[in-house]
Amino acid sequence: MKIGLRIWILIIVLFLAFLSIAPWKALEKGVYIRSVELNSSAFEMGLRQGQIISSIDGKSISHLEDFKETFSIKNYSGENVKTIIITDQGEFILFSNESPEIIVSEIPKSNIKTGLDLSGGSRAFVKAQDRDLSSSEVNDLVDVVSNRLNVYGILDVQIYPIFDLEGNNFMLVEIAGATPTDLRDMLSSQGKFEAKIGNETVFIGGEKDIASVSRGGQGAYIETCAISGEGYICTFRFSIFLSPEAAQRHADITQNISINLTNPEYLSEKLDLYLDDKLVDSLFIGKDLKGRVTTQVSISGSGVGETREEAYEDAENSMKKLQTILITGSLPYKLEIVKLDTISPTLGESFTKNIILLGAIVFLIISTLLFIKYKRIKITLSVILTMFSEAFITLGVAAFISWNLDAPSIAGIIAGMGTGINDQILILDESVSNRHISLKERIKRAFFIIIGAFFTIVAAMLPLFWAGAGLLKGFALTTIIGVTVGILITRPAFAEIIRKIGD
Amino acid sequence: MEEEKKQAQNGPPKEKKKLFSNFNYDKYYRLFFFIPIIILLASLIYLGIFYFNTGDIIYKDVSLSGGTSITINGEVAQSQLEAPLKEKFPDVSFTQLEDITTRKQIALIIESSVSPEELQPKIESILGYSLNEENSSVEFTGASLSRNFYRQLVFALILSFILISIVILIMFRTFIPSLAVIFAIFADIAMPLALINIFEIKLSAAGIAAFLMLVGYSVDTDILLTSRALKSREGTLNSRIFRAFKTGSFMTLTALVAVLPAFFIVTGLPDSFRQIFLILALGLCADLINTWFTNASIIKEYCKRKGIN
Repeated sequence: MKIGLRIWILIIVLFLAFLSIAPWKALEKGVYIRSVELNSSAFEMGLRQGQIISSIDGKSISHLEDFKETFSIKNYSGENVKTIIITDQGEFILFSNESPEIIVSEIPKSNIKTGLDLSGGSRAFVKAQDRDLSSSEVNDLVDVVSNRLNVYGILDVQIYPIFDLEGNNFMLVEIAGATPTDLRDMLSSQGKFEAKIGNETVFIGGEKDIASVSRGGQGAYIETCAISGEGYICTFRFSIFLSPEAAQRHADITQNISINLTNPEYLSEKLDLYLDDKLVDSLFIGKDLKGRVTTQVSISGSGVGETREEAYEDAENSMKKLQTILITGSLPYKLEIVKLDTISPTLGESFTKNIILLGAIVFLIISTLLFIKYKRIKITLSVILTMFSEAFITLGVAAFISWNLDAPSIAGIIAGMGTGINDQILILDESVSNRHISLKERIKRAFFIIIGAFFTIVAAMLPLFWAGAGLLKGFALTTIIGVTVGILITRPAFAEIIRKIGD
Repeated sequence: MEEEKKQAQNGPPKEKKKLFSNFNYDKYYRLFFFIPIIILLASLIYLGIFYFNTGDIIYKDVSLSGGTSITINGEVAQSQLEAPLKEKFPDVSFTQLEDITTRKQIALIIESSVSPEELQPKIESILGYSLNEENSSVEFTGASLSRNFYRQLVFALILSFILISIVILIMFRTFIPSLAVIFAIFADIAMPLALINIFEIKLSAAGIAAFLMLVGYSVDTDILLTSRALKSREGTLNSRIFRAFKTGSFMTLTALVAVLPAFFIVTGLPDSFRQIFLILALGLCADLINTWFTNASIIKEYCKRKGIN
């Protein structure tokens, strides 16, 4: 039997979809680098996102557990320790006193990416409080927040501006995997930092006034921990370096302040630190600093907790947050989180398992039904194969455009398969009827109905791209891809197969 | 071998049992018209009363009305949580998710209109452990955002309906048959909507998307019927309608068996996913009567008056 052009197209597209999905990735061993902290030693040595680690210190790494175990037994006690990491892009040797600042995950089993609702993670819709943002304002906001989250150390994050059908602009923040505990705070607190003496502002957060912030080693540390009331309190301290202008301002203001009479080591007024208009700390100003252009300022604060460990951790987090705000400056608006979802990955796994089972069941029922009606294995098989080709090509397209398949997207694929079956039944019924007109003509008639149904589905799905800020975009997208693949590739090929069987 | 098959294919058509062969369609088609009309009217009246009582045409879940949905993984006793939560949050509701094969509970979903900051600590204090992303999912939608979502989805539904009507009008370029198709689509939406309310199902954003899909799903049988009746000339009008019915009902049947397992079998997360398939299934059932009773009757009457046989 000669294979015609339309069937060839189907075969080629199926092959391309196979390449795009790349299911052989399931066979690879190792762990995948999801992100590398900027300017960390790991980054400087050349480790990058997307590389696959196959061995560490000569021990082969095939799963996430191997990776975790390797670093849990490595002894970092202040000294630099050598680590040899072999990846698919070469060998990297690290000397560091802590485990590398990278986030790894299992190698994806294929190029198909799943959405947050299946793979776990968090998602926030953010808008400005009490005002509507223009799209350029949202773009600015995206830049500032990206910077802030990166400085804070949240690496695996994607932030985009989005808009909905009514022209509202939002910022969408998506974080795969574990959700940082203070995400809500990091997103919604404006982070307006002000250091004041009396009513005069000395410096504010952001690069204009603050040249640099110490973030480790001698310049930033937890000072003391002590019992306080029923719990513990730990204090932190870190240095910041002011820009020349801010330092000059500091000199001008302190010039006119007298020495504190009761405590003559210090000036009579304190440096008050405000975060989002709330006083967080008051620092004494040493008398030697009066009128002096000084660039280094020491900032302190505290954290509390029921246990010493909790207080220590709280202090560390507060320090990190304050450092982040000082580096990145305040957000241009007060923000509000209008939607916040944190999804556990656990149920997504059982969902995926169920989807495969569902596929098998639908396959069986439909095959049986078709066989009862047409009583021919060849026809039944062609319908089923066409249906699965369509779903496979849709997955291939989704993988190719890096679309994250969420539950609505999968529903769209299944719904698309349903309409596909409908169209094929139509072609079949049209082709076995009215023997006095040519088969070609009969199939042409079937296509009139198929094309009509195609346009109605596209028309029905189109508004979903924008309605509800695109949360259901996946449903519309996969449905439209499915029916388009159907009308351009699988339906013509199916008609040809039927002609071949019929001849 | 090839020769035999050809023989089977082209040989004399087997005398099939003529189902309904004694059935006088000409006599009853006007009556058929009224069966779906009565159901549609009942649905619309029900929806009207529903609107009058609740101020809305559907029950909305927290994604459309605003609030928090907390999914706790594993076997969590609803009985333990129900009373103390109801006391503090009167609108709290529960859904259990089961594994399809073992029938074991895999999660408990708790929904309320309050914020997670209020709901979560209360649940934690009852359960005696804290909820994190290992053992639970928390979804929160602000009230104003969900109102926007709802409004936009309803707008999208209306917009789709208009776009589809335009496509239909362009396809057939005749007013009455096009109107019949559009009417059938409208009935395909209204009937499941009433049923969803009777079942007291809270509609999610995905559920509204399913109604959009339904529009696309149900339309092909209507196009099939109309084009066979109007555009082809083989056999009598009745035989063309009947042939369209045979093809179309089989199409709907296969679509039904494709979506029904998705509703009954996939009980894992997310729940909104199942809703899509329930609505599609209800819509397909409604489509059977709306296409083959109402739409067919209108087409038949139209052809009769236009002298198309």
